[in-house]
Amino acid sequence: MNSTLANGNAPAPELRRLTLGMLPLNDAAPLVVALEKGYFGSEGLDVSLSVETSWAGLRDGMQLGLLDGAQMLALMPLASTLGLDGRATPMLSAMTLNLGGNAITVSQALYERMLAQDPGAMQAPATQASALARVIDARRQAGEPKLRFANVYPFSSHRYLLRYWLAAGGIDPENDLELRVVPPPLMASQLESGRLDGYCVGEPWNRLAASRGQGHMLCGSFDIWGGGQEKVFGVCEAWALQYPNTHRAVLRALLRACVWLDEPGNREQAARLLCLGGYLDVSPAVVEAGLCNPQQVAGDRQTGRLAGATLFHRHAANFPWRSQTLWYARQMQRWGHLAEEVDLKVAIERCVRPDLYRQAAADLGISAPLVDSKVEGAHEEAWLLEGDRGDIPMRPDRFLDGSRFAP
Amino acid sequence: MAIRVLIVDTKDERSQALERALAEAGFEVVSTVDEQDDLYSTMEALQPDAVIVDAALPSRDTLEHLGQLGRRYPKPMIMLAEEETPDLTQQATRAGVSAYVIDSISPALVRSMLNVSISSFESFRALKGELSRTQETLAQRRAIDRAKAMIMELRGLGEDAAYQYMRKTAMNRRMTIHELAQELLSATGNKGK
Repeated sequence: MNSTLANGNAPAPELRRLTLGMLPLNDAAPLVVALEKGYFGSEGLDVSLSVETSWAGLRDGMQLGLLDGAQMLALMPLASTLGLDGRATPMLSAMTLNLGGNAITVSQALYERMLAQDPGAMQAPATQASALARVIDARRQAGEPKLRFANVYPFSSHRYLLRYWLAAGGIDPENDLELRVVPPPLMASQLESGRLDGYCVGEPWNRLAASRGQGHMLCGSFDIWGGGQEKVFGVCEAWALQYPNTHRAVLRALLRACVWLDEPGNREQAARLLCLGGYLDVSPAVVEAGLCNPQQVAGDRQTGRLAGATLFHRHAANFPWRSQTLWYARQMQRWGHLAEEVDLKVAIERCVRPDLYRQAAADLGISAPLVDSKVEGAHEEAWLLEGDRGDIPMRPDRFLDGSRFAP
Repeated sequence: MAIRVLIVDTKDERSQALERALAEAGFEVVSTVDEQDDLYSTMEALQPDAVIVDAALPSRDTLEHLGQLGRRYPKPMIMLAEEETPDLTQQATRAGVSAYVIDSISPALVRSMLNVSISSFESFRALKGELSRTQETLAQRRAIDRAKAMIMELRGLGEDAAYQYMRKTAMNRRMTIHELAQELLSATGNKGK
C-alpha cells in the first residue's frame, strides 16, 4: 500500500470531533496508532480516545451515545443488536482490528501438576487439556474442590476459545470446573493468591503473570483457531447511517494504522505509544513481548506456538468475515448462551458489514476478499485467497481439533 | 421491606457517605466490599436486590456475568431503564456511578437510589477535588510527558534514548511507566525544596 496515498476522492466527514472507546489492552494499538501517528488527523478527524476500565462501561458508553465508536469484542455488536448485552441497540462492525492475541495461562502449581499427570499430553496444545482432565479426575477422587478458571466479559472470544480448548480435552466446562469472569488487571493477582487456577485473556495480561513467575502460558488463540477474529471496530447502526462518510474515514485511518502495525519493526514503537501515551499502565517490556510481530519471530508454522501473538493486517486480518462471527455465535449456542431459534444469518448480515469494509479498503487500494464468508479451519498450510485487487496470502486457519466450520 | 443494597467501592470515605445517604433514603446497605473481595461468594451469600459500583472499577464485568447467570442476580441498569431514564443513566455514567438491579424493584425506587448515589459521588468529588476518569488519564499522560522531557534534559538524551532509559528502568524495577514517571517527578520535586 502507498501510505502517502491522498484520499482526494473521499467525501468529507459529516462529523469531525469524535470520542472512541478502548480498553487497556495491547490490541487497542490500531486506535492508539491511528491517533498518535496522525492517521485520524489526515482524515480531518479530531479524535479523543476514552480508556474504559470494563467492557460493561464501554457498552454503556456506546448505548448511551457517549462514544461514537469503539474497540469491541467480536460478539458485542451482535449481542447488543439482539438485546443480550445491555439495552437492545443495533450495532455493526465493518472491520476486524486483529486476529489472535489471547492465551491460556495456568498457575505454576497447576502447571506442575498437569506435567506430572501427563507429560506427553503437555507437548501440544491439542492434548494439553487432557492432562488437565486427568488433574480434574485426580482432584475429584481426592475430594478436592473444583478448579477455578476465568475469562473476560461474557460475550468474548476468550470465553469460547477457553471452552473449546477444555472440551477438546474431554472436560465439561459446566460441571468439571468453575468458570468465572474476572477483569484482566485482576487476573494475575488472583492467580497468585490462589483464587484462580487458570484463565484465558488478551495480552499483556498473560505475559505479565509469566514475567512475575505467577503463571505459565500454555497456548494462544492461534493454537485453538488459526485465523480467529479478535477485536473489531464497532459503531451503532443509527450512527453509521447518519455519518457514513465519517465512518468510512475512521475505517481508512484504522486500516492505515493496522498496515503500519504489521510492517516489520513497528511493533516496538507501538508498545512505546501505548505505554508513553498513558493508555496502558503496564511495564513496557511486557507490552513489547506480547506485541512482537509473529512474522519476525519465526515462520508461519511456529506462529501458533508464539502464544498470545497477534496480527493486525496481513492475511486479510481486517476483513469482517461473516463466517468468523457466525462461528462465535454457534459456540454461544453450543453452550446454551444463545437461543437456537435466533435467525443468525439475518442478524449477522446486519451486524457484520464486509460491504462497508470494501469501500474503505478500495479508497486505500487494499485488496479485499470477493466473498463474505469462507469455510473456517480448512487450511493446514498457507494459501492464497482471491481479492478484488490481487490475491491475498492467507495463513493456516486450523482449529485445535482439526474440525471444519462451513457456514 | 427495604431494598437491600451492596456497595462495591475502593474508597472508604466515599462509600461510608453513600451508605449513610442511602440509609437516610430508606435503603438497607447490606455490605460494602472492595475490588479485591470475592464478588461471587459475596453475591451468593448476601443476594442483594441492587449493587452500586464505582463505574471505574473493572469488576463491573464480573457483575455482568452474574447478571447473565439467572433471575436472582441484579441486572445492569441500562437494561432496566424505562423511557424517561436514559438521561438519568447518562448522568449516573458521568458521575461514575453504575448500578445493577433486580427486575422486581419499581422504577421509582431505582430512580431514587440512583439520585442519592449520584449526588453522593458528586459531593465527594467536589469535596476532594477528585479527578474524573478522563481527567485522570490525561493527568497520567502529562506526568509521563513531563518525566520524559526531564530525562531528555537532565541526561542530554533524544526522545528515543529517553524512552529506552525509562523502559529499562521500569523493567528492572518492575514498574509501569506511569509509576516510574511519578517517582521521578516527586524525587526531583523534593530535591528542589
